Amino acid sequence: MAVYKRRYNPYSGTLTAQWSRFFVLTRYAFAELFKSRFFVILLILSLVPILFFAGYIFVANNKAVQLLMQMRSAGLFSVENDYFIMMMIAQTQAAFLLNCWVGPVLIAGDLTNGALPLFLSRPFSRADYVLGKLAVLGLLLSAVTWIPGLLLFSLQAGLAGNGWIWSHIWMVVPIMFCSAIWILMLSLISLAVSASVKLRIVATGVIFISFFIPAGFGEMYNSIMGTYWGRLLNFTEMFRLILAKGFRERTGLLGPLSRNEIPVPAAWGVLILVCLLSLVILNARLKAREVVGG
Amino acid sequence: MMNATIELNGLEVQLGNRTILHGLTGVLKSHAIGLLGPNGAGKSTLINTLLGFHSPSKGSARVLGLDSHSNGSALRSLVGYMPENEAFISKMSGVRFVRYMAEISGLPPDQAMERAHEAFVYVGLGEARYRPVGTYSLGMKQLAKLAQAIAHGPKLLILDEPTNGMDPPARKRLIELIREIREASDICLLLSSHLLHDVEETCDEVLILRNGQIASICNLVEERRANRKFLELETIGAEATFTSTLESLGCECAVFSNGRIKVVMPDKVEIREVFKVAADRGVQIRRMNHRRDSLEDIFLNAMEQTGAADGRI
Repeated sequence: MAVYKRRYNPYSGTLTAQWSRFFVLTRYAFAELFKSRFFVILLILSLVPILFFAGYIFVANNKAVQLLMQMRSAGLFSVENDYFIMMMIAQTQAAFLLNCWVGPVLIAGDLTNGALPLFLSRPFSRADYVLGKLAVLGLLLSAVTWIPGLLLFSLQAGLAGNGWIWSHIWMVVPIMFCSAIWILMLSLISLAVSASVKLRIVATGVIFISFFIPAGFGEMYNSIMGTYWGRLLNFTEMFRLILAKGFRERTGLLGPLSRNEIPVPAAWGVLILVCLLSLVILNARLKAREVVGG
Repeated sequence: MMNATIELNGLEVQLGNRTILHGLTGVLKSHAIGLLGPNGAGKSTLINTLLGFHSPSKGSARVLGLDSHSNGSALRSLVGYMPENEAFISKMSGVRFVRYMAEISGLPPDQAMERAHEAFVYVGLGEARYRPVGTYSLGMKQLAKLAQAIAHGPKLLILDEPTNGMDPPARKRLIELIREIREASDICLLLSSHLLHDVEETCDEVLILRNGQIASICNLVEERRANRKFLELETIGAEATFTSTLESLGCECAVFSNGRIKVVMPDKVEIREVFKVAADRGVQIRRMNHRRDSLEDIFLNAMEQTGAADGRI
């Protein structure tokens, strides 16, 4: 019907599948994000290391280029677990920065002017809402972590040949799982912060603090109590521990190997606990704001 | 028989340890229902319960035949909700905001876009639809909220204080819009307002709450019909023959001192027949009040009755 016909008409057309409606939030959030030039620049910058890593693979598998660069040692360029650990560290840090920029506004924008009841007064649950917002960060951070990780793995497999893929296929698992837990933890922390803090700059600060303050407390605890269990509060270190174990790292690339090492299940437990805690905070904050007071 | 729009069966709602709604029971069958009550009466809690935000601690509420708790999602797919407080995304343009909400309600993107434009033009914000909602005046924000509530074509429109903060012309336009929406389709309306006039102009039935209890359920259509035939006369020279003639026409008369007569007329008797009888009998009618109970009377009555019942008045 033409817009100039001013009368109310009921809607009798088709409806989208209910399960897919959470993605409307994701789509609109991406549309808003890509309006920001700063975001686009940040996204491009976070993908720049991938070009260098891809270049490294190209050089490692190209004897002519190595000769041109006068590389005499054949083992200088190797694409093994250390390479993927470095790639993962670079990209998870990029993901952290992206998350600090994007995460704080995702929910705060809806809460600032009380839009949340409008979402939830429709056939749309709180879980759908969280899923829609989580998908924004999930897709975005995936695009800079495990997706380029797998692309680099495939590139190396294609260029190396000779069964490289079968002897290294196990590395797909840590690329996927380490990225997944990091993305999930970052996303939930930033959504919980976004649901609690309105101002972006403050929210970004709180995300940083939520990583560094517990780590500081952990170190204090270690110093006072003469133990090493305080490291459990250093989430970044716990992630690196998981990363090192996942990639079977033995060379001390991620810091000196210690006898007093936190067990990997404990590291996983801490990160999962942080996810659950963030989810509880997020749920409580949304529940408190979903109803219009009267 | 007409199905109930809202059916309350001993509905009790507790928030924390406090009981807000105390066993509400009643059936509201009209298409346009007003929700009245003083501050803290439980109007917003009732609306939030009907929307499924609060779970009943006892009893149940059914809206359009669906239980608000167990069929919450199905029910919300039939509802358009305009909350009392600010509810918008300030950086989005008006039409994009409405389109977004329509898509959340399940409309495909192209349909949502078309309906959003229609809704915006319909509420009279066509010229402002590409401006960010945050830049709208209070009245425009109210209209934008109405647009998002109707864009997906709901079966029940819940309006919580829709005329809040609007100047008189804007208020009048909004009330006209609400009446148009009600008359243009089979949409049901639940309107909560402090302004009795708004409810009186748009609703057929009123639920009056006080202290979380039902003070009154009143069918305004029937009230209007009953009151239309109620006359108060001040006469000179009226004798018993005047009232007996009126009674022979089917009127009920009560005679008071100083020539004051109260007359309840049946539907078939018109006022001009009263004048004709008066002229025939040589009775002067010095004053005639075509009295009807306004919603204010009904509201105040309900407040007094429940106040007396709980010992406050």
